[in-house]
Amino acid sequence: MSTVVDTTGGGGAGANRSFLASAMPVLLQLRRLAFLLFFVTTLLFFLLRAAGDPALVLAGTDATPEQLALIRAQYGLDKPLLVQYLNYMWNVLQLDFGKSLASGENALLKVLDMLKRTLHLAFMAMTLSSAIAIPIGAWLGFRPETLGRRIVGGIVFVFQGIPGYVTALVLIQFLAVNLRLLPSLGYGPLEWKTWIIPTISLAFFMMPQLIRVTAANVAEAMREDYIRTARAYGASPMQLLWRHALPNALLGTAALLGTQFAMMMGGSAIIETIFSWPGIGWLLLESTQTLDFPVVQAEAFVIAVLVFLINALVDLSFRYLDPRLRNKEA
Amino acid sequence: MNAPSSATGPVVRIENLSLAFVGQDQVVEALRGISLHIDAGEIVGLVGESGSGKSVTAMNLLRLLPRTKVQIPEGATVNVLNQDVLKMNETALRTMRGGEVSMIFQEPMTALNPVKRVRQQMNEILQRHQHLDETAAEALSLSLLKDMKISDPARVYNAYPHELSGGMRQRVMIAMAFSCKPKLIVADEPTTALDVTVQAQILNLLKDRAKATNTAVLLITHDLAVVAQICDRVYVMYKGKIVEEGATRAVIGNPQHVYTRALLNALPEGKAPKSRLETVAAAMIEGGTAEAAAPAPVRASRPPSDKPLLEIVDATVSYASRFDMLGRAIGYNTAVDHVSLTINEGETVSLVGESGCGKTSLANTLVGLVPLSGGQIKYRGQDLAALDAATRREIQIVFQDPQSSLDPRWPLWRLVTEPLTVGNSPGRAALCAAAADLCGMVGLDRNSIDRLPHEFSGGQRQRIAVARALSVRPRLLLLDEPTSALDVSVQAQILNLLLDLQAEHGLTYLFISHNVSVVRHISDRVAVMYQGKIVETGAAEQVLTRPTHEYTRTLMDAVPSLEKVFANR
Repeated sequence: MSTVVDTTGGGGAGANRSFLASAMPVLLQLRRLAFLLFFVTTLLFFLLRAAGDPALVLAGTDATPEQLALIRAQYGLDKPLLVQYLNYMWNVLQLDFGKSLASGENALLKVLDMLKRTLHLAFMAMTLSSAIAIPIGAWLGFRPETLGRRIVGGIVFVFQGIPGYVTALVLIQFLAVNLRLLPSLGYGPLEWKTWIIPTISLAFFMMPQLIRVTAANVAEAMREDYIRTARAYGASPMQLLWRHALPNALLGTAALLGTQFAMMMGGSAIIETIFSWPGIGWLLLESTQTLDFPVVQAEAFVIAVLVFLINALVDLSFRYLDPRLRNKEA
Repeated sequence: MNAPSSATGPVVRIENLSLAFVGQDQVVEALRGISLHIDAGEIVGLVGESGSGKSVTAMNLLRLLPRTKVQIPEGATVNVLNQDVLKMNETALRTMRGGEVSMIFQEPMTALNPVKRVRQQMNEILQRHQHLDETAAEALSLSLLKDMKISDPARVYNAYPHELSGGMRQRVMIAMAFSCKPKLIVADEPTTALDVTVQAQILNLLKDRAKATNTAVLLITHDLAVVAQICDRVYVMYKGKIVEEGATRAVIGNPQHVYTRALLNALPEGKAPKSRLETVAAAMIEGGTAEAAAPAPVRASRPPSDKPLLEIVDATVSYASRFDMLGRAIGYNTAVDHVSLTINEGETVSLVGESGCGKTSLANTLVGLVPLSGGQIKYRGQDLAALDAATRREIQIVFQDPQSSLDPRWPLWRLVTEPLTVGNSPGRAALCAAAADLCGMVGLDRNSIDRLPHEFSGGQRQRIAVARALSVRPRLLLLDEPTSALDVSVQAQILNLLLDLQAEHGLTYLFISHNVSVVRHISDRVAVMYQGKIVETGAAEQVLTRPTHEYTRTLMDAVPSLEKVFANR
């Protein structure tokens, strides 16, 4: 045994320190978030400045030089870039991203409003895909060498190559056009019929990868010594899989779910466009095309916070799933 | 004490069992007509080297081998508690597994489920076989853990496996094995992964509990000294056959079969230090008589000089273990604690100690893998940190596990010559020539330089690792448990090789090991390490036979030794 030089919280003096110790991971995470947001906003500020003159966008293409100058003065665009940047950062610090150039709405509120819808879609799609993919993956990984499973595995592999919009178009053709069961597009917060095809399309797109990762992790867990132990103590095949192998295999699945969720935040644009589901992906396309820079900036900020939160959540789920990771920082 | 088993006859009766593994395009025979029996309450050893079929025999008792891959010819009987397991279905087998027959496995680190508390794992078994409710299961589990001489059973019961030491986990495993009052426990290398002092405790615990509950034990091991310590009877296996059987004392004291004799002769224990050990392969090839393979004497080794080659002065190695908000280290674990040691040119100095005592950290520091936190290391009078590359190369290291220390995709010639390509790039032809020479030095076939690591046996792989270290003509070799992962007979080969190389090239060795009899065999001087400190240094014979420090005495008492066992009986 090695000697621990540091003495932790021995006795009454430890009360204050143990609070600090338990708050430490949170503080560390917040520091990381602050760095992340600083870099994202800074980078975006300069990138957008390089992409186009905001005064031109504001004034329109047929504005006279006088009008342009007026607008520059009004928005502070005539000041040195560094001053503009500092002003901008000061506003960001107060969560003020300005008004949308297209609609005049508060940019941040507009983004948050769209975010609700994307989260709605993402949440439904992820629930559906996990509910189907994890059991299939577990079944596939349990005895990967049997014929039936190899065939299913092959099918999953092929489906991994099908883009989400193809599924979407097929479903629209079949369920909306041919059978007239469901609406082909549109979004109503309470009209569940409009949710079905987009949810299935997105879930279908995510499932193959989730199945394959779960299967690979379960197959690996099944080769571990503790499975042999459980077998030697009379566990049935179902107990081996669900009670012993799967809990160990879910770590990889959780990591992938986090990645998939983060990707959906920016990458749901195609599905949202196909179904006229006005979410954050659709807004991103729209605002970038029209150089609606307050919205783009607010959106990048929100997505950065969101992805950060997802990662923190995945981290937390790791600690829940694997006790060995719990005492790392605390 | 329980009443003796009501069933008459032996607990296990295996007759004429052969078994083969069926692969894609080949059939590998693992067992060739073995017969054995175990009576109620008896502790029986099954000894052999890796690949001899001993674990297969054990796994087959509960039919734990994949049925689709196993072929058992007609005419075999495997009776466990008067039931023919070869004819039982899975459901019946599941009732037996963990109930009347339970198992203890080698690796306590991996044999328990890492995401479940001990509580869940013990209760699951009690609920399955004894149909106990949560409260009853808890009460019984706690008393079982207490029987294992665990001082705080409640903590262990609620802990996750990673929160327990290796020895503690193995106690949990044994408590699980005894939990459903089995008639038979199959223990597959239960102490191989443990330190000697822990091994001694675990073996005594297993023996005491088995005798107290009249449980039969089949103990599978490669270590004859372990068998000598606790077994009533022993079977010796070689290449899928049982070659010798009898009372432990008779088999070890007066072995009849040539293989048993060869195995005993391969042990360094009781042999003259630095003498050439007999290898099993040689004995078996010589057509039956072990005496025929008279070991050639090791070349007369040069006497070590008294010129210091390496001087370790007050060395400290610590690892940061806790960090503050800005990522600065605020807590340290000290692995090596103010250690001083001098190694003379041509000398073999051994560092003995248990896992975690800091011996590997010290070795890693010597080759620059881990920075020194305090003190100084001097090589040939110069500070180690200030050495030029050419001099630094004179210190090389060989790691414990040749399985994982060699890149599986590299052919032999590339593996052994990699150190030569640091800083310059000789052509492939030159490297292959160098590789062939190195093969000659370490006793590998010169024509095998294009083969990959998996095509070699464990012993051959360790030869490759030694060849790699020799490629840059080192003066000082650090050998970190070079024989711990090897069979006894292979260990003998590697020890012979190391002694030969030292005699021929005047090498200096720092030999790191927990195996006292190996250390006694190869060393001039011994340093005993405990909790990061060197507690005792001196001539090998003196330290190991007349230890002065309390820890060294504890260590020496725990070492399973054939001589000691027979002296005490």
